[in-house]
Amino acid sequence: MFAFLLQSVASTFDRPAIDLHALAPEFVLTGALVVVLLVDLFTPKGSRGIVPSVAGIGILAAMVPVLTLALDGADRSMFGGAYVVDNFSLVLQAMFLLAAYVVVLLSTNYVAEGDYAEGEYYFLLLCALLGMLVMASSRDLITMFVALELLSIPAYMLAGWRKRDRRGNEAGVKYYLMGVFASAVMLYGMSLLYGISGSTLFSDIALAVARGNGLGDTTPLITLGVVFVLIGFAFKVSAVPFHTWAPDTYEGAPTPVTAFLAVSSKAAGFVALLQLILIAFIGRDDVVGPLMWVLAALTMTVGNLIALRQTNIVRMLAYSGVAQAGFMLAPLAVVGSNSDGARSAVVTYLLIYAAMNLGAFAVVLIVARKTRSAEIASWGGLFEYAPGLTVLMTVFLFSLAGIPPLGGWLAKFVVFRALLSPDLTAGGVILAVVVGVNSVIALYYYANVARQMWMNPVPDGDRTPVRIPFSLAAAVTLSVVLTVAFGVSDLATHLGDLATFLPA
Amino acid sequence: MDNNEFLTEWGLTLMVFLPLAGALLLMVIPKAQEQMIKVAALGAALASGAVGVAVLANFNYDSSEKLQFVVNRNWIEAIHANYIVGIDGLSVPLIALTLLITPLVMVYSWNHFPQPHNPQAFLILMLVLATGMLGTFVAQDLILFFVFFEVVLLPMYFMIGVWGGEQRQYASIKFFLYTLFGSALMIVSFLALFFVAGGDSFSMVDLAQGVADRNAAGNLAMITQVLIFGGMFMGFGIKVPMFPFHTWLPDAHTQAPTAGSVILAAVLLKLGTYGFIRVALFILPEAAVKWAPYIGALAVIGIIYGALGCLAQTDMKRLIAFSSVAHMGFVMLGIASLTTFGLNAAVFGMVAHGLITGMLFFLAGSVKDRFHTLEIKRLGGLLLQAPKLGWILGFCIMASLGLPGLAGFWGEFPAILSAYNPAPALSQELFRTYMVIAAFGTVLAAGYLLWLFQRTAFGTPSEEFADVEIEDVRVSEWIAWVPLLALILVLGVFPNIIFHVTDPFLTVMGNTFAGLK
Amino acid sequence: MSDFLRDYLTVGIFGLTGVALVGLLLGLGSLLRPTRPQPQKYINYESGVDPVGTGWGQSNVRYYIFALLFVMFDVEAVFIFPFATRVDAYGWFGLIEMGIFIVVLALGLLYAWKKKVLRWV
Repeated sequence: MFAFLLQSVASTFDRPAIDLHALAPEFVLTGALVVVLLVDLFTPKGSRGIVPSVAGIGILAAMVPVLTLALDGADRSMFGGAYVVDNFSLVLQAMFLLAAYVVVLLSTNYVAEGDYAEGEYYFLLLCALLGMLVMASSRDLITMFVALELLSIPAYMLAGWRKRDRRGNEAGVKYYLMGVFASAVMLYGMSLLYGISGSTLFSDIALAVARGNGLGDTTPLITLGVVFVLIGFAFKVSAVPFHTWAPDTYEGAPTPVTAFLAVSSKAAGFVALLQLILIAFIGRDDVVGPLMWVLAALTMTVGNLIALRQTNIVRMLAYSGVAQAGFMLAPLAVVGSNSDGARSAVVTYLLIYAAMNLGAFAVVLIVARKTRSAEIASWGGLFEYAPGLTVLMTVFLFSLAGIPPLGGWLAKFVVFRALLSPDLTAGGVILAVVVGVNSVIALYYYANVARQMWMNPVPDGDRTPVRIPFSLAAAVTLSVVLTVAFGVSDLATHLGDLATFLPA
Repeated sequence: MDNNEFLTEWGLTLMVFLPLAGALLLMVIPKAQEQMIKVAALGAALASGAVGVAVLANFNYDSSEKLQFVVNRNWIEAIHANYIVGIDGLSVPLIALTLLITPLVMVYSWNHFPQPHNPQAFLILMLVLATGMLGTFVAQDLILFFVFFEVVLLPMYFMIGVWGGEQRQYASIKFFLYTLFGSALMIVSFLALFFVAGGDSFSMVDLAQGVADRNAAGNLAMITQVLIFGGMFMGFGIKVPMFPFHTWLPDAHTQAPTAGSVILAAVLLKLGTYGFIRVALFILPEAAVKWAPYIGALAVIGIIYGALGCLAQTDMKRLIAFSSVAHMGFVMLGIASLTTFGLNAAVFGMVAHGLITGMLFFLAGSVKDRFHTLEIKRLGGLLLQAPKLGWILGFCIMASLGLPGLAGFWGEFPAILSAYNPAPALSQELFRTYMVIAAFGTVLAAGYLLWLFQRTAFGTPSEEFADVEIEDVRVSEWIAWVPLLALILVLGVFPNIIFHVTDPFLTVMGNTFAGLK
Repeated sequence: MSDFLRDYLTVGIFGLTGVALVGLLLGLGSLLRPTRPQPQKYINYESGVDPVGTGWGQSNVRYYIFALLFVMFDVEAVFIFPFATRVDAYGWFGLIEMGIFIVVLALGLLYAWKKKVLRWV
């Protein structure tokens, strides 16, 4: 047996063609994270603020090759099709980079003022970001799995960052255990798919699992493989009933990390789902469709109902994030009849969701600097001493609720559109009504926070104005501009339509 | 001609967005500069009004059935939504009403903003509200229409919730949830309609054409149309509000500050009825025929229920709110008849109700201001203490109960009459029954309104207010009220001012229904 | 019997032989040796100090960190061996790749060093 291995090695070695331009975003980011580590090692203790700046510049630098690749326009495929640069990956890589940049802005003061290991924090953040970039380009089970672990393992550590806090520990451990369990389930599914198709490439798997290809007697096996892999990512996007880690983790993790998990990590899960469903399992919409239908309906309904009862704003945002994930899953339920529309809808939703949710977390961070509390009751009377912040938070909340003309409504709209087009199907229409009813339920808890801010008195009578550090102000400004711009222009929908896959 | 070209291209857009620009301007004025804030807000409202007047003056009234001042630009291309605005005879009266009410409300609030004061925020909301209302009336693209339709929600929510009465938080969220529920189903309907009608444009005209083509070809299932109409019915019906969905209205009206109540009554409710005519009836005439009997039934239930509700009220503002339910019932009955005559009555009813009920809410606000209560049994003898206020109240009550010669009559009477002879596709017996019930409703209306007048204005002041000096009508109130009072009278004497504008468009629509079996 | 099962039969025989061998040796020992039970003989570590404390005694955390560092670099070094056997085939490309790999490893070591993990305080 070993002889056989050695023999295969002994065959001539073909140097893989490496397209440096195509991989430049990943390379730049890798360089940036090395620099972050070194800068942290060689700057004296107490000189805060250098590391986050380096991390931020690194992220923006990685944006440059993404833009040049986008301008270049050519689709690139490497490593036998396992790794590609296409419109889809570029749009999402740009989103991941921008979102991570905002997270760095959110973290700057929080990490510098707390008792945290600053260098390691940004190092891990960039590692996770690198995993996301790879995720957006992977068209192969192994590449995807490596990307997933590269983004998950730093995230586990970041979630438990407040190591002296019991809830911080709970956050980290829960997230880790659930994540590992999900990975295990997913790996089992992947092994089944590999067993059926004999390849880890999505394009090969698509051929092997599609209906009517003579593998009739292995259908239960295919179903099992598809379902297990999808369930693994359902954990990542916190779909009900695999959402139980989310609220505790979100509450216990440092708030900027929570924002990162709620936006970037969730988006990475959706990116993986999109690639799997629309490339590898495109011929199995008879399995994927019903599964996604049920997951979406359950996720949005349960998430919303539990969110109604939350008194802590971070937990509320966590459950609202669960519900939003349900809205994002909905288009995938009609992938059989409208795969292009589903892809465009999910990407559009992700972009808008990132902008408005990051904005909401930014305001939560700013307000918590003054109130030292995350209870919704502590937000009372915010309008009296911080009218500007109140208006901004109102914008983000009602955008999340989907009120025009803020970004969120367009996100809901594209979901409706995907569900109803091109022909009205019973499943699509019913799910659309479920989405509609749920967005009304959701309004209640979003409006509840607005009610506290606008209509209630200040609970402790402390009306000192809130001081907003520069980096947080920048984060909020960026988010609000994007939230409103997405709502009144065709920016997000255009990007959603643009983000097409490289034809296999 | 340069001037006219500019107006054609930019007139409507300017009119709609000037208030919004004003709101943005207000945000940067420091909070301490109250006078400047008020002047700027009023300036923005008047500027929008001036542009509006210029547009209306250049409107070609001889062909008011055609869309004029049309602007069609790409907007959100990816979802086929365009920025299409334009006005025709149906929108002109409602735009005029909106342009009139907004500055008047500002003038009325000039020196007594409700608690917690903060005129800056209040006026910003008011201006955003104005943009939303005007936009809804000019939008000719369903998505644009929907966006404007929803834009009014937020300012109204905050206006009730922040500046309202005791139960303001409950009332505001109730208002918001009800309306949003309707909208959520409505947008699903809009999308379904979009795909049914071909899937390449949200323009109302194109959609109507698309549906008509498929109906002519006979390949559009009636059940699909009826269900799509049902979604719209939820959206617009809640906004109107029609009978089973009306419960948000009394709470919202009672708790809202005076300015909010006036705008709510005068314009916001009309968004619903306008939507019925402009969107639901216009695009889905065949489904409208199927729905009309039910709409008519709910309308007359609303008339009677609203009237009975009024008789049970102890609060003046709540009573007026319930009377709105009844009055909107007449409007809906006119719409349900699906005839040119009934539709004309409905549009007139909208304007008349806007003027009269708006005025009544102004008066209720002024009474509250002076007596700090609106409980009917604690009031009395208004004619003795503040005779001018009392007589104005009497005038408005007469107008509201539909006295011939005042505006209310021309909304109510033809609406009842139209039910005598509904569109040929509808059951005559059924609608004549509706007519009888509605006519009975007018008797009840006279009852509760006169009873209200008697209890508040006649007699002697109650003991607790006997020695209190009550200020009669103030200058700011005169400025705000005179235009409305004058219009109530003028429209009562010359109803043709409105009928002339609305008739051509509604005749086209009525003929469509006359041709349906 | 199929080849498949025959392979497993080999495994089974091998396992049985192992068990039998152990049993044989232990049985032989118990037959041959003298048996004189004493309580002292049942204490852990028959000779030397008496055991104190519980079984969950703590050892110094530094051992753990050293062990971890060792394992990490040891495992990574595994990748270098197969590379070394085929250096000429991979050429400059392989050399650069491995150079990058080693630099990253060295960075890890540098990190550990600067964080004073290598010092035994």
